[in-house]
Order: sequence, then structure tokens, then C-alpha cells
Amino acid sequence: MTDHPSPLAPDLIRMRAIVKVYPPNVLALDDVTVSFDDGEIHALVGENGAGKSTLMKVLYGLIHQDGGEILYQDRSVRFRTPGEAIAAGIGMVHQEIVLVNEYTVWENIVLGAEPVDWLGRIDETRSRQQVQAIIDQFHFDLDPDAQVDDISVAARQKVEILKLLYRKVSVLILDEPTAVLTPQEIPQLFAELRELRDEGHTIIFISHRLEEVLALSDRVTVLRKGRLVATVPAAGTTRAELAELMVGREVLFTSRRTPQEPGEVVFAVAGLRYEDGRGRVRLKDVTLQVRAGELVGVAGVEGNGQFELVNAITGLLKPTAGTIEVAGEDVTAAPVLERRRHIAYVPQDRGRMGGSLPASVVENAIMTHHRLNAELVRWRGLLLDNGAARRFTDRLAEAFAVSMPSRSSPLRSLSGGNQQKVILGRELLLDSPFILLDQPTRGLDVGSIEYVHDQMLAMRGAGRALLMISANLEEIFMLADRIVVLHRGEIVADVPVEQASIEQIGRYMLEGNDATL
Amino acid sequence: MNVVTGLINGAISGATPILLAALGGAYTFYAGVFNIAMEGMLLMAAFCAVWGSFTFGSWVAGVLLAIAGSLVLALIFIFFAVFLDTDEFVTGIALNIFTLGATTYLLRQSFGVKGVYAGPGIDPIPSLNFPLVAQIPVVGPILSGQNLMVYVAVLATIASAFLVFRTRFGLRLRAAGYNAASLDSSGVPSNRLRAYSLLLCGVLCGLGGAFLSLGYVNLFSENMSAGRGWISLAAIILVSGNPWGVAIISLLFGFADVLGLLLQSYQVPSQFTAMTPYIATLIALYFYARRQRKERDYADA
Repeated sequence: MTDHPSPLAPDLIRMRAIVKVYPPNVLALDDVTVSFDDGEIHALVGENGAGKSTLMKVLYGLIHQDGGEILYQDRSVRFRTPGEAIAAGIGMVHQEIVLVNEYTVWENIVLGAEPVDWLGRIDETRSRQQVQAIIDQFHFDLDPDAQVDDISVAARQKVEILKLLYRKVSVLILDEPTAVLTPQEIPQLFAELRELRDEGHTIIFISHRLEEVLALSDRVTVLRKGRLVATVPAAGTTRAELAELMVGREVLFTSRRTPQEPGEVVFAVAGLRYEDGRGRVRLKDVTLQVRAGELVGVAGVEGNGQFELVNAITGLLKPTAGTIEVAGEDVTAAPVLERRRHIAYVPQDRGRMGGSLPASVVENAIMTHHRLNAELVRWRGLLLDNGAARRFTDRLAEAFAVSMPSRSSPLRSLSGGNQQKVILGRELLLDSPFILLDQPTRGLDVGSIEYVHDQMLAMRGAGRALLMISANLEEIFMLADRIVVLHRGEIVADVPVEQASIEQIGRYMLEGNDATL
Repeated sequence: MNVVTGLINGAISGATPILLAALGGAYTFYAGVFNIAMEGMLLMAAFCAVWGSFTFGSWVAGVLLAIAGSLVLALIFIFFAVFLDTDEFVTGIALNIFTLGATTYLLRQSFGVKGVYAGPGIDPIPSLNFPLVAQIPVVGPILSGQNLMVYVAVLATIASAFLVFRTRFGLRLRAAGYNAASLDSSGVPSNRLRAYSLLLCGVLCGLGGAFLSLGYVNLFSENMSAGRGWISLAAIILVSGNPWGVAIISLLFGFADVLGLLLQSYQVPSQFTAMTPYIATLIALYFYARRQRKERDYADA
């Protein structure tokens, strides 16, 4: 594993000894040297905070390096704005899609470089023709007149790519493009990216999904904690090798789940139905049970009723029909606090639902506990016992290996992984028989994901009932005993993991009951 | 001139300053600026118009100074809210309060009077008469004989609708409000569009203010904008900035204005009649909120 040793390859971009310091003293990039060849697909991998996005933002002119030099086509360049980078032929598609939902596909593509007539009026005919021409050239399947609001996430991503192609970029930087796609959509994106490469484009692909990196790219550059670890050819490199380079130690990918006979039914929903204000059915006769010592994974394309299911369970939404029982108690109409006695809940959004970013670690740690745990309050709940709250936080930080500047620091100052540990720890310390986890590892790095998974499996071993919603099928297959697929608010499959395959579950996610096996 | 024609003409006069300010505010609305400074801009413009008209003896100078005065406020807004990224609401409040004090002070300093200045030296904005048009039965007396600024407002409505919905500028302007990040990543700084929108707002409020003090009446009185800037804000929010909608809502407010005056002749105390535009605002907001709620339920679905 050495630096790519090909002096003959034409370096299109050479980033030399790049240093970036985020004030006050975070060294985000530490002397990183990497080069990208003309016409290759080059993956950048690393854990969260490894510096992959920072490196690309430096190249793209979004942020500026504190040291080092960028050579592009053998000339030293320093783009002040993304606009300059695009004009020079380097474009970036960000992780979160930034399109104007209110506009059509073609309007989004031409925005900022619109063909106009002498009055400044947009030349719609010419715009449409030009957009259609690029769509045809690269065989993208897209309607230029569709409103962005109405098209799928995968299609929106294509619009982002087309927007750059319309501006004639030759280098495309893609920041975690597969994170928002379903398993079925990924091969198509990869085929399109390969076609772009074959037409002479250079593609830089940021990802932490190693199997995708190996499937798609020609070379892989690994970053760890702001430093370059290695650049290796994808061919002949294994996933385990890459993971080891990324994390700096060996990582296990196989399921550590041990077979275990589930116990009593702890959590049961029956005939759950929800119609929204417009009369549309968002949940349709959802019946589901989770037993003690069992972990059930809910798979599904986002927006197929997961949100409503979670909110119905936690009491944020009133179901139209059906019942919810936890530990033998009917909580269908119970207020939120009452449910919290039986339900631990790890929401998908750490900063909004899970905790309060400006509040301190202590305050975040005792949320809910302050209502349920008499040790944390005095005078019948009128006063908080701050000493007890601090001791409780220390206990949580110790048990869940939270690394933080101090107890009184705002939650915001912790890394994503540590924020999630605080919230996970708080919920697991509730000692509830039922644990609901909504995308518990979203946005976490490999090390933190491993930790969260370990904790979940420990809870399963301790006889809790766990229900996990995840957009990551691999995660579900690693952890779950049973997989449930939600499609348009309906459970279309409920199978033990041993009898399921990723392809089959993926088909259920997309086609629902029409999935032919 | 019969009563109905009189009512309509009154409504048009009442609507004009609101319409001009609301068109200006519509640009900032589309650009995603929460701009509440129309009130201050109208008032500053009204004062500068009278001062310019009196000093130079020409309504043209008055209108130009009105635009200049309003633009100064727009530039201050841009400097703070766009450039320094201060809170738009606080910036707007500060400008409005500042203008109220500044115009009151300047009135005393320039004309040595308190409350109102209505000297004969103020040259008013003329009305336009189209003799042929005036002959047309029923609509003739409405289409002809209006103040110049009324026609300007009509043209501004048409121009705004064209600019916002058909041009490159409009596409970028709306993108700045819908999703600034998207516009920025398209290589167009959204802040630049915000600044442009505020400048346009300054010009239009300048025209609106000039009409207030040189067209609607021919004098300057303290706080003479009297909430019209706020009403224009309500009009914008009610129709989400659409220039045609803004025109209709402004006419409705203008009608409420006239209604207030009419009620006065039926012995209703003027303090009550002065409330009608604001009551109309609350009623409009009620219907707006109901519609919004329905749409939200729809969107949640």
C-alpha cells in the first residue's frame, strides 16, 4: 500500500501539502498530498471528521487552505468561490441536495447561466433544448419539465449532476452520493458515473461505504484524522484492508448477533391506521409485535410511513384506528410522559428531537429522567437536584464512554458520535422494556456505529424488545432478528432475517406487494 | 361625478401608496428578506418629496429626492441586514423608529413648524387628463384624470410581474428566497439579489412616499405614512408577493380607506373610521391563516 506509483499518468489535479486549521485549534487537514488523474474515478474515504469533505471544499473554493498548493492542469490555482471553480471546470455535488423545489428540472439546471433574449427574458425553448441535449448525451432518464418537488431523490441528484454538466465541468466531486439512494438506485448511478468517466470526466467520490467504493472507483485515497493514510488502486484491495486503513485497527463486518430464543411479547401494535388531514392513508392496518430479547428492523424507502409509525408510538400523532400496547398496557391514548415509562426512544435527529444542542450535556442527560427518576429532584419535583444530575451525567458518560470537554459544555460542542452516545445512554438508562430506535447510526462514523450496534445487541441480550427503523439495509441485516418492510404505510413483508436476502427486501421496499420473487 | 365614481377614485388614491410600497416589498419578499422597513421608507420619502418640491420649486425634484431618501434607508438596511447579517426584523424596526424621529426633527428644522407643513410653495405631482378617454361613459372619469403616480403604479405592477416571472433576474430573485443555498451553489451570490431587491424596494417606496405628500395631499405631517407600510406588508404576505394579487389587495385596502372617510360623514367618530384599514388587515389575515392551515395539512400529507 504505497502512493500511486504511476509517473506516466497525467495528473489533472495535484493538491500538495494542504493544511487547514479550523479556529481555534482544530487541525482538519494536516499536510495532505493527493493527486487526481484525468479520466479516473477516485474515491476519498475516511471516518467522519477525517477531512474528506474539507479537502474537497478547499479544492472547490468553498473554504481556503492555510497552507499548501493546488495545481490544476499544471497551473497553481486558488479558487475564491465555487463559481470560479465551476468556471475552471471543477464542480461539486453536495451531500444534501440543494435545488429549488418550486422550479422545474430545466429551470434548476440553467439557474445562474440562463439563456436570455435582449429583454433579459428567459429563452425557454433554448433552455429546454440545451437541457434535453445533455440528458440525451449521458442517457439520464429525466423529464426537463418535471417539478423538482415531484421527482425522487435519485432524480434530484441527477439534476445536481446535470447542472454541473450544463456548465461544462470536467471534474465532478460527489459527496456521499449514495447516502440518499435505495439499493436499487445505486447501480444506475454507478453506470452513469462510469459513462461520464468514459467520456473523459474525472470523478471524485466521497464515501464511507466501502463496498461501493471498491465497486466503483479506480483508485482510493484514505484519510484519517486529517492526515493522508494511503492512496491505493481499488483492484486487489479488500474491504477489510480499507476499513483497517480508515479506522487504524481491524473492524468486524460480520454480524455479532448470537442466536437467542425471544421471550414474551413486549410491544404490540394492532390494526394501526393513520389518515392525515387530507384524508390520505399514511399507515394502513399495521400489525407488529416485538418480543423480549428480539430486535426487529423496519426497512423501507423513506416516506413510506416510518415517520408516522414512530410518531404514533411515541404519542406525537393520534392514530385513526388501532391499538398500541407496551408491556401489557394499552398506551394508544396515553400522554407522552406516560409512554416514556415504558418506551425508550432514540430519534433520528439528534439535534432537534433527540436533544437540545445549545443545552449542556447535563441538561441533555437528565431530560425525561427528571420526570421519572425521583433521585434527580427535591421538594416533590419542584426543584432539580443539581448534584444528583451531575452524578447521573458522570455515570452516563462513564458507562457509554462519552468524550466531552466538560459536563457543562453545550451538546453542540460534542462530536456527532458523542452526541448520539449521550442520547443513547439517556434512553437506555431509562430501563424501559421496549426500545424504539429511529436511524440510530445515521451520520455516524464507523467507530461510533460499531459502538451503538454493540449497545443495541447488549440490550437485546438483556431481554429488551427493540424496534429499529433504518434506511441502511446492511445495518438491518447485521442486527435484526426479523425484518419488516413498510411500503406506502403498509407492512408488505415480515420475515426472519435468516430467510431474507438484501435483493428481496429491496424489491419489497420499492414495489410493495407487487414484488415478484 | 357620481358617488360610485367618487368612491372608486378614492379607493384608487388610497391604494396607490400601498401598492407602490407593496410592490417594492414583494421584491424583498421573493428574495427572502424579511423587510418591514416600507413604513420608514414611505415616511422618509414623503418628507424628502415635500422638502425637494418646496426647495427647488419642482415636483420632479421632489420625487427624485423622495427616491434618494428612501434609497438611503435601503442602503442602511443592506449594510446591516445583508452585509453584516444582523436580524432583519430588528433592523427594520430600528429604521422605522429612526425615520419617525428624523422626519419630525427635520420638519421643525427645515420649516420651523410642528405637526404639519402645508405651504403654498409645494409643487404637487400633476394629474394626467386624456380628453378622449375622459369622454368614455362610466369608466372615462376613472381612467382619465388620475394623478401621474397612479399610472406609474399601474405600470410598476405590470413591469414587476414581468420582471419577477419572466426574466433571468426574476428566476434568480425567487431562487434567493426559495433556496438561497441553491442559488449560491449555482454561482450567483444570493446576497447580491437581496441587495438588488432592497434597492428596488427603496425606489418604489420613494415613489409611494412622494405620492403621499405631493399627490394624495399636498403637505407633510408627522407620521403621515400612518401604517401604510405595515399594510403593504400584510398585502404582500396575503398573496405571497404576487404583483397582481398585491394590486387587488391594495385596492381592497384603498376601498377600506374610503369607507372610513364615508363613515365619518355618518357621524361615526374619526378615531373609529381610521381603524377600518387595520380591521380589514386583521380580517384578511384571518382568511389567510385559514388557507395556510389547510395548505399545511395538505403538505403534511
